[in-house]
Amino acid sequence: MAEKPITPGKNAPQVGMAYQIPRNSLALLMISQVVVILPLAVYITPWIIGVGLFSGYWRTQVYRGRWGYPAGWVKAVLVFAGVFGIALSGYGTFSLEAATSLLVLAFALKLLEMKTRRDAYLIIFLSYFLIATAFLFDQAITMAAYQVLAAVIITAAMVGMNQLQSRVRPLASIKLAAALIFQALPLTLVLFLLFPRIAPLWSIPMPSSSTTGISDTIKPGDVANLTMSNELAFRVVFEDEVPPARELYWRGLVYSEFDQGTWTVGRPLPPKATPPAAVGPGIGYEVFLEPTQAEWLFSLDTPVDYGPRLKMLGDYRLINPESILSVKRYRLVSDPQYTQDPQLHGLLERRETRLPDEDNPRIREYAKALLADTGSPTAMVEAMLAQIRNRDYVYTLQPPTLNNENSIDEFWFDTRRGFCSHYAGAMVFALRAADIPARMVGGYQGGEVNPRTGHVEVRQYLAHAWVEVWIESAGWTRVDPTAAVAPARVENGLNAALSGEDRAALSFLTNARLGEGDLLSNALQFFDSVEHRWNFWVVGYDAASQSSVLQKLLGEVTPARIGLALAIGGGVSMFLVALTLFWRRRPTQRNPAERKFFKFASAMARQGYARAPDETPAAYLHRLAVKAELDPQPMVQRLQSFMYDPQASLSEVERRQMRQDFRKLRFRLAFSTPGKAS
Amino acid sequence: MTPNSTQTPQSLNSTTTVDEVAVSRAGVKNQIEALVQALNSVLLGKEQQIKLSLACLFAGGHLLIEDLPGMGKTLLSHALAKTLGLSYNRIQFTSDVLPSDIIGATIFDKQSNSFRFIEGPLFAQLILADEINRATPKSQSALLEAMEERQVTNDGVSMPLPTPFFVIATQNPSTQSGTFALPESQLDRFLMRIELGYPEPAAERQLLMHGDRRTHLNTLGAIISPAELSNIQAAVGAIKASDPVIDYIQRIIAFSRLGSEFAFGLSPRGALALLQSAKAWALINDRSHVVPEDVQAVLPSVVEHRLRESADFTGHGGGALAQKLLGSVDVVS
Repeated sequence: MAEKPITPGKNAPQVGMAYQIPRNSLALLMISQVVVILPLAVYITPWIIGVGLFSGYWRTQVYRGRWGYPAGWVKAVLVFAGVFGIALSGYGTFSLEAATSLLVLAFALKLLEMKTRRDAYLIIFLSYFLIATAFLFDQAITMAAYQVLAAVIITAAMVGMNQLQSRVRPLASIKLAAALIFQALPLTLVLFLLFPRIAPLWSIPMPSSSTTGISDTIKPGDVANLTMSNELAFRVVFEDEVPPARELYWRGLVYSEFDQGTWTVGRPLPPKATPPAAVGPGIGYEVFLEPTQAEWLFSLDTPVDYGPRLKMLGDYRLINPESILSVKRYRLVSDPQYTQDPQLHGLLERRETRLPDEDNPRIREYAKALLADTGSPTAMVEAMLAQIRNRDYVYTLQPPTLNNENSIDEFWFDTRRGFCSHYAGAMVFALRAADIPARMVGGYQGGEVNPRTGHVEVRQYLAHAWVEVWIESAGWTRVDPTAAVAPARVENGLNAALSGEDRAALSFLTNARLGEGDLLSNALQFFDSVEHRWNFWVVGYDAASQSSVLQKLLGEVTPARIGLALAIGGGVSMFLVALTLFWRRRPTQRNPAERKFFKFASAMARQGYARAPDETPAAYLHRLAVKAELDPQPMVQRLQSFMYDPQASLSEVERRQMRQDFRKLRFRLAFSTPGKAS
Repeated sequence: MTPNSTQTPQSLNSTTTVDEVAVSRAGVKNQIEALVQALNSVLLGKEQQIKLSLACLFAGGHLLIEDLPGMGKTLLSHALAKTLGLSYNRIQFTSDVLPSDIIGATIFDKQSNSFRFIEGPLFAQLILADEINRATPKSQSALLEAMEERQVTNDGVSMPLPTPFFVIATQNPSTQSGTFALPESQLDRFLMRIELGYPEPAAERQLLMHGDRRTHLNTLGAIISPAELSNIQAAVGAIKASDPVIDYIQRIIAFSRLGSEFAFGLSPRGALALLQSAKAWALINDRSHVVPEDVQAVLPSVVEHRLRESADFTGHGGGALAQKLLGSVDVVS
């Protein structure tokens, strides 16, 4: 296609001054296209980037006069091929990715017919739209900062469109655009704070990437993989003091079914109609959950207050009505003293004791014998913990691989090396084998306090699995076998529990975060605190926080009051910008002579005798004197030598005379009609 | 208060000390009046242009007169040369004039058996460069170097030109075929560019009734001596410009640099030219200091040939721009 011959006259670049895109704007336009597509590049199919680069190259060749614009049929083929390609890319029909890909494709191909100013404006407005689109995928502060920059470049392209052909200065347009964006800041702030966050009129299909973090199935070894990641899971702000790390068991998922060595959540239990009633004093905290693309939420112990939007399932875990696609902010009160299910329903008991029919025979036998030996479920749990503690069990992130068939037998009796999910899995299996209701719980354990903002940071490497066993009248009780094999993991965090070998397997950044006091971990903490503040003040400012702010500001929230507040806020912000501009462009200090004359001239202007800019003081005074039927000559001479003769130092008498002249003129002309200047 | 009761103290120039400047300025005033009168008698009804060209020469600058044929360009320049009492030469530019025709040439002298430099017409106090745009750029630049440096270079030897040294060039704007328009950098060397324009009906009638004034030119004698001329030039330098006037000039310069209709702004040389011309205008109007009216009076002549409109590639938008400067820049800030 590249060798397509140019047919002059048909596809040759249009010539016509009025419609041409200014050179400096064209460069900025192409730069801004790259800039807005770049953040979307990871979410769309890579070949669209190729299409973009190809179109860019073609347009550059057109600019250089080497190639012509593509013919109509070429464009048609490109469009149909592109749409077909997106259809084959394996996104859902109405997924956000498909829509974005289509938009970016059209945006890239538009380059090939960017001839006139109208096309260029279309590109500019599409660029602004793409900026907004990128926020559907990512709302981090880095993204926001990047997009502000992109907005500056796009605005600069628009500024360039309106510059004269003879002044090609891209840097000047960028400077002007930056100033424009900066001036828009106060108004942006007002709109951000006050403009009602209306529920969308139609729902946007959301990004359909796979879930991150803990998943609803656990194979032995899964959690260990998570430990390799130092990504943020969530941040928590406690209302009172932060509980010690060993009590921070963040429940997220409850795994009730086991098959083929894999634990799964199973069919979700029906939600509870009312929240559990608090028993003791609760722990209040607010969670800022990073997007997981899943519905489950993380909470401590038993949440007793979780607001009207969230739901609690039968196993006391919280569920969001939708998948979490952007930072989710929710406030909870948890009660550690609450007893979960003092009486266990028969159906639930069957669910939590069910095992596959025949696998892991050794541990089944072992469990039955142990229960017979010890006599009670509590004693059996103790005995198992004692066995983990006293025998040669090892906590490691790199356990040997187990075969799926009898993995638990293999781990418990032979390898004895494993991670939290191995221990928890073996324990739940053993308890269920002895007909004691037990389940595995997945989530995170611990958290690091950021000293700058005081919030607790929970990262993926704190992913954890533990056991809940049902004991008569005590209800579901948490048992953590990992605490038996590696007490330091729970007491002092992951860092203390890891061997040198394990540490070596972790990523550089994870190690840096786990380290303390050095420059890098300090820097990481700083970035984390910035990000947290961003989430707290900007991303977390949702409809609920807005309505409370509005309530505080307006008292009663009515549309009229919101409108009024917007008008006032907008007016004030515009006024501030205007004021600074005015202040910066105020005229330089006048000298005393000019000041006096200016005062007189403004007074006369109010009486209807305005001075034209090019009318000199002498001419002006002459005009006024003639109008007032006074002798102009002496007045004019006095004024002129007063204002413009550096050598003449007027005596006190002459100054008084000049003031008298002014007064006389004002008095004489106060009651006459200005009329036309003669 | 009645209109008649206003006092009109005439003691405005209350400086009782009769100092030297005042005396010389009184003398200068008479000389200038005599000059204007003499020139007026040759070129009828063009007092403004006559005063402007005098101001240009008093300010020590070169003058470009641009108008259609037959408007009196050459007449004015001749009259100026005569009345100012300067030695003058006229160079008629054509497309085959060479630099050596202007500067002079080195020739072999048989008697002394050596090379000798024969001075060209450029060696005079006042040069009338007629139809300067007919010459090739090469010859133009020979003249323009002389204008800027007040010296000429021949065979690597620099020779100073007589002082004072003025160039009054004329050019014809209408028939541009076969001409070489002066580029901006060379136009900038002329302090002023004036146009004469058609005469008033009354003046034209007088011209028709009393015959050609060209004959009158021959009777014209020197009205001032070169020494008096340099005295007048010194008096221009002594004219004071107050802060408000400097501010006004600065506002004009800034406006020309920021306005988007200007292809480029006025240079510092342009700013200096404006002030110097305004001072000369103040002197001609018998004032010891510059007033805004002086700046306004000389502004078109000083800036028109230095400006070009952004949208205009041919370079003939200067007039509108000067009017824009006059109308838009406030005299008092």
